[in-house]
Amino acid sequence: MEVILVIVIGVLYASGLYMILRRSFVKVIIGLIFLGHAANLLIFTVGRISKGIPAFISIEGTLAENAADPLPQALILTAIVIGFGVQAFAIVLFKRAYQTTGTDDLDELNTTDELIQ
Amino acid sequence: MLYAVVAGFIFAIFFPAAVRINKQAGKIAAAVLPLGIFIYFASFYNTITEGNVIAQSYNWIPSLGINLSFYLDGLSLTFALIISLVGFAVFLYTASYMEGNKYITRFYIYITLFMASMLGLVLSDNIITMFVFWELTSISSYFLIGFNHDKERSRIYALQALLITGGGGLALLAGLIIIANISGGWSISSLADLNELITGHKHYPIAAILVLIGAFTKSAQFPFHFWLPNAMEAPTPVSAYLHSATMVKAGIYLMARMNPSLGGTDLWQHTILIVGAVTMLFTAMLSLKQTDLKKLLAYSTLGVLGTLTMLLGIGSDLAIKAFMIYLIAHSLYKGTLFLIAGIIDHETGTRDITKLGGLRKLMPITMVIAVLASLSKMGIIPLIGFVGKETVYASALEFEPFGTLLIILAIAANVFIVYITIAVGFKPFFGKLKPTPKEPHESPFKMWFGPMILALLGVVLGMFSSVVINSLINFTEIGVINKKLNIPVKLWHGFNLELALSVLTVLLGVLLYFKRDNIVNTLNKISFTKYVKPSYYYEFLLSSTLSFAKFQTKFLQNGNLSNYAAMIIVATIFLGGLALVSFGGAPNIDLTFAPTFAEVIIGIILILAAISAVRAKSRLTAIVSVGVVGYSVALIFIMYSAPDLAMTQFAIETLTVILFVLVIYRLPKYLPFSSMTRRIRDFILAGLGGLLMSLIVLFIIAEPMTSELKKYFGENSLTIGKGRNIVNVILVDFRALDTMGEIAVLAIAAIGVYALLKLKSNGSEK
Amino acid sequence: MLLVLPIISPFFFAIIMMLFWNNTKAHRIINLVSSAASIIFAVMLFSNVNNSGIQVFQVGSWQAPFGISLVADLLSAIMIVITSVIGFSTAVYSLATIDHEREKFGFYPLLQTLLMGINGAFLTGDIFNLYVWFEVMLISSFVLLALGGRKKQLEGAIKYVTLNLLSSALFLAGVGILYGLAGTLNMADLARKLPLIDNPEMLTLVSMLFLIAFGIKSAVFPLYFWLPASYHTPPAAVSAIFAGLLTKVGVYSLMRVFTLIFINDTDFTHTIILVIAGFTMLSGVLGAASQMDIRKILSFHIISQIGYMIMGLGLYSPLAIAGGIFYIIHHIIVKTNLFLVGGAISKIRGTYQLKKLGGLYKLYPILGLLFLIPALSLAGIPPLSGFWAKFTVVKAGLDLGEFTIVAVSLFVGLLTLFSMTKIWNEAFWKDAPSETIGNKFSGSNTQKAILFLPIVLLALITITIGFYMEPFFDIAQQASEQLLNPNLYIDAVLGVSNE
Repeated sequence: MEVILVIVIGVLYASGLYMILRRSFVKVIIGLIFLGHAANLLIFTVGRISKGIPAFISIEGTLAENAADPLPQALILTAIVIGFGVQAFAIVLFKRAYQTTGTDDLDELNTTDELIQ
Repeated sequence: MLYAVVAGFIFAIFFPAAVRINKQAGKIAAAVLPLGIFIYFASFYNTITEGNVIAQSYNWIPSLGINLSFYLDGLSLTFALIISLVGFAVFLYTASYMEGNKYITRFYIYITLFMASMLGLVLSDNIITMFVFWELTSISSYFLIGFNHDKERSRIYALQALLITGGGGLALLAGLIIIANISGGWSISSLADLNELITGHKHYPIAAILVLIGAFTKSAQFPFHFWLPNAMEAPTPVSAYLHSATMVKAGIYLMARMNPSLGGTDLWQHTILIVGAVTMLFTAMLSLKQTDLKKLLAYSTLGVLGTLTMLLGIGSDLAIKAFMIYLIAHSLYKGTLFLIAGIIDHETGTRDITKLGGLRKLMPITMVIAVLASLSKMGIIPLIGFVGKETVYASALEFEPFGTLLIILAIAANVFIVYITIAVGFKPFFGKLKPTPKEPHESPFKMWFGPMILALLGVVLGMFSSVVINSLINFTEIGVINKKLNIPVKLWHGFNLELALSVLTVLLGVLLYFKRDNIVNTLNKISFTKYVKPSYYYEFLLSSTLSFAKFQTKFLQNGNLSNYAAMIIVATIFLGGLALVSFGGAPNIDLTFAPTFAEVIIGIILILAAISAVRAKSRLTAIVSVGVVGYSVALIFIMYSAPDLAMTQFAIETLTVILFVLVIYRLPKYLPFSSMTRRIRDFILAGLGGLLMSLIVLFIIAEPMTSELKKYFGENSLTIGKGRNIVNVILVDFRALDTMGEIAVLAIAAIGVYALLKLKSNGSEK
Repeated sequence: MLLVLPIISPFFFAIIMMLFWNNTKAHRIINLVSSAASIIFAVMLFSNVNNSGIQVFQVGSWQAPFGISLVADLLSAIMIVITSVIGFSTAVYSLATIDHEREKFGFYPLLQTLLMGINGAFLTGDIFNLYVWFEVMLISSFVLLALGGRKKQLEGAIKYVTLNLLSSALFLAGVGILYGLAGTLNMADLARKLPLIDNPEMLTLVSMLFLIAFGIKSAVFPLYFWLPASYHTPPAAVSAIFAGLLTKVGVYSLMRVFTLIFINDTDFTHTIILVIAGFTMLSGVLGAASQMDIRKILSFHIISQIGYMIMGLGLYSPLAIAGGIFYIIHHIIVKTNLFLVGGAISKIRGTYQLKKLGGLYKLYPILGLLFLIPALSLAGIPPLSGFWAKFTVVKAGLDLGEFTIVAVSLFVGLLTLFSMTKIWNEAFWKDAPSETIGNKFSGSNTQKAILFLPIVLLALITITIGFYMEPFFDIAQQASEQLLNPNLYIDAVLGVSNE
């Protein structure tokens, strides 16, 4: 059953990387979001998935043998929130950059790397 | 000895304060310092000439084996005496030569630093300590050459000297470390007994060559010689002190010092011999075209440095003797002549020999000093220079099997040196008085006193050579060839072949002087290609390094974010691929494929949404697709028993989409920028990247994993963490620190968003 | 408890500043207090580690590896001390250079959260927690970089943000994979369990992800492009602290994981690191040689110097690692100071462009001296700190017979000297061109004193390290021994191993 996840992860990485390579900053941000999803799903998958039994402690006070591993979930949760904070900043950064420079084309935003002689 | 070395450094630190209190006192103190050091070292004369050595050592960096250890033997004593004595003459001279210069304080600081470093260099017994002082001399030389730094030439040539000697210094460092690694210690004096061990080691050739590069660059040997004439941009006291009497001899000193430990091999002797001989002849010839007093002297210095190197290369007992006498003689007369050149420049306002003449009546004292030094330089009896040249010839003659060749080279070079001497030491004073930019006067006492001492010393040492320097030189040789010699130094050896050759040299030199113009005219007709000039290669290397630097920077740091990202992706794929290849066998993969219908559907939706986001023609489509991808991820979380994750994912995805929509609401059209080739390139890169990550996941999940953590959390969440939802317990208890960081990130991001939206800088650069 | 303070204390003060959001005067004072307190805590922590070995603190007293462990070995303690010194210097420098607008929008709290993230990264013993601190550090640096919102800043920030987030994504994936391999996140536990896994070759593969992720943060070739694109855009104080500390967190992380976790196939991994080191040195210094702007030159030199540190790691011998650590110590002090001096120059002349500068040596000889100390140190002129740093790394390379990398490093040393003399030549030696904008230090005498205080402080440290290298190198050597003996770390965190 992981095979589908493996494919999904591959596609998310590929599309994320592809978008990062685009010239429009909006697309780059979308790429970063995809890479975040991909990383989260990767953690989820390599942390071994299990179907149907969440990591809750039962009434008897035990955790089922085949319950999901709670740790990767906790990591992903932290990563999602952190990712959101950073992405929100990136989105606003994009807005300011657009207002200041008047372009969304990253190839035009190259003045900081100019060789001034 | 430590104090003698440190004194200069301390003096340099406190000099500015001293000058502020009393300018004259400061200058006098500056001259007293080298005199004191000279007297201090002279007091060791008897001890050393009785065959003792003095060693002192202070801990510095014991964990690296680097100590401040000093070693006084005949060789270092000779150098220390030269450094302090010429230093005294130069410091005294400087006081009036630089009179009125606004930045004289800085000058004194640099030159005192130099003197202290130079003393440290010749006294150090620790390889690294010596190197430290070696580099300090290069750096102080840089500041002194560039002293008149409002002139562009000064700056360019200061840098040139620094890059050449500094580059050589780095080679030297590597060579010295290799030698230390072979010998297992840092002490220079103990290396002498390890000659066989070192020269037999497989790394010896590279070490020897590296050390020689260091020595050749410092002592301006061919093909590195060109920095020295250019260094004449420095004020004259600097030229006299650093660039003729002392610093340029550091390389010579190093070769002499390392001779017992590294020498004796064909590689060592032949390299030194050939380089020395070529330098001697080549640079002496170059002097013909010069008319500037200091440039002429610089070329003759080069000739002498070549001769000294050649003598080391010959390496016979007699050659070493000649080496030492010549070394002392040259320091005395060349220092003098430079100072004289400075006086002439100072008094007349020009250094061009074609514009000088007949000064003998106006500057009689200067003339006498100049003539004394010149005679010594020309090798006229009874001066020390005579003794020097005689011995040089003798040692060249006895060199088998190329004695004849060497003597011809040596005579040729000396003919040019005689020519230079006539031009510098006699021409300005004799003949008709020529008008000069300034009205010449006799120089003040402080200016001529120093050179006079040096010149007189040349006479004294020559006439009484068998008494005064004989024993010192004998013990110096122990330092150079590890055995004591007993070839007496005498003024008069009788009428012999060397004497005849000396006379011949002088006659030819005089002839050359009178025929100079004809020769130069002929030379001017022959056009040499620039490729024969070593300085061409320096400039070529420098400029091509710079243009390559520009090229690579423009190529790599080209301002395109997508190129930067592409480089990172390429690197990832490359290194990942390299690691995969290094496996040497395929790892296990578990491909049991039994998905449920729902899984397939969600997977397909997610993939389609991702593709749609990539291909979207409008921002809105793209963002909707992003949302769909996010929600599908949330569905996956639900499906695989992660309800908390799913909830969070839903919430966050919604927020992201809303934020996105708000921000891009009023933006222009979503334009496709990239060209087709770029898209294909990116598609391949992205595809490979995705493939790599998928493979990693496949490989990992093929092997079972047991986490003790899961078990532990299962057992302790409720009892200690008081919660049934383990994910929550982990977040607030087990890994609370993560959560704190997470909150910090959110808070900072909030500040950032607020500041970005509100703070509109008016563009002032702060 | 001392282990928590370097993280909690700046956070605490940052929160207090946020509570008094509109009182920038209070911000300044609190910021100074916090930075000074950090020095005290750092020194206390260091002396603890130095006297009684590796310190461990289990957060929430959950036994390792179940909770998060904070660990301070000598390397961490060294980094914490330097961070506090740089933090303090920048805090003081900011007082004289940061404009009121930036102060109003949380400059000082951000400085403290940045330091919190950096300290957290140095102290954590948990690989996911390291990720979290990286993010704290990154988001703080994002905001500091963009704060002010000028065009160049925003352009630089876009590149900086994007490429660093790419690095974070790779790092996060790497963390997940490590968990998938060993079922643990505690670095000591990982070091203990990873050698026992069924598919050890995976470890090499994952190590490459970490190499890339940390390589981006450390700005190594060919991953460094974000750095020269952005470091010259924010105010001098921000440039200085970035230049000194941020990349070194990456280098620290590389040193940590490639001496503790990824040591299964050092022939492969560390050779790659060595090759990267060579290219990094060379590419960085060539970049610097082509620039004519003080801060751009200095930025490229960060890259080239990172190469030397990585070279120490790649050579992987006790002396080499000690050299690498010593290099970090030296570099942080010197590079920060050069950026501070650069800021002072621009305060006088109003520009960083070498073509427009000149004549400073005649007018400000003391400033010249204060430039020369770090500049010559960076160029490796003895007996300043940079010489010893270069010397130990070169010696380690020659000990191992790695002649190629040594040759590269020496050549790069020469070009570094060239770059430093270029700044000296253009800004200090040559006469000022006629179009020179400013000619006077714009600001009060108090401001001047505040501006020069940290510069002098750092210069004194540079000189001290140079002339009295023994204790510093001794510590670096001990730190290197600890790194090369991972069992010390493992045992300290997990208790004596039960094998």
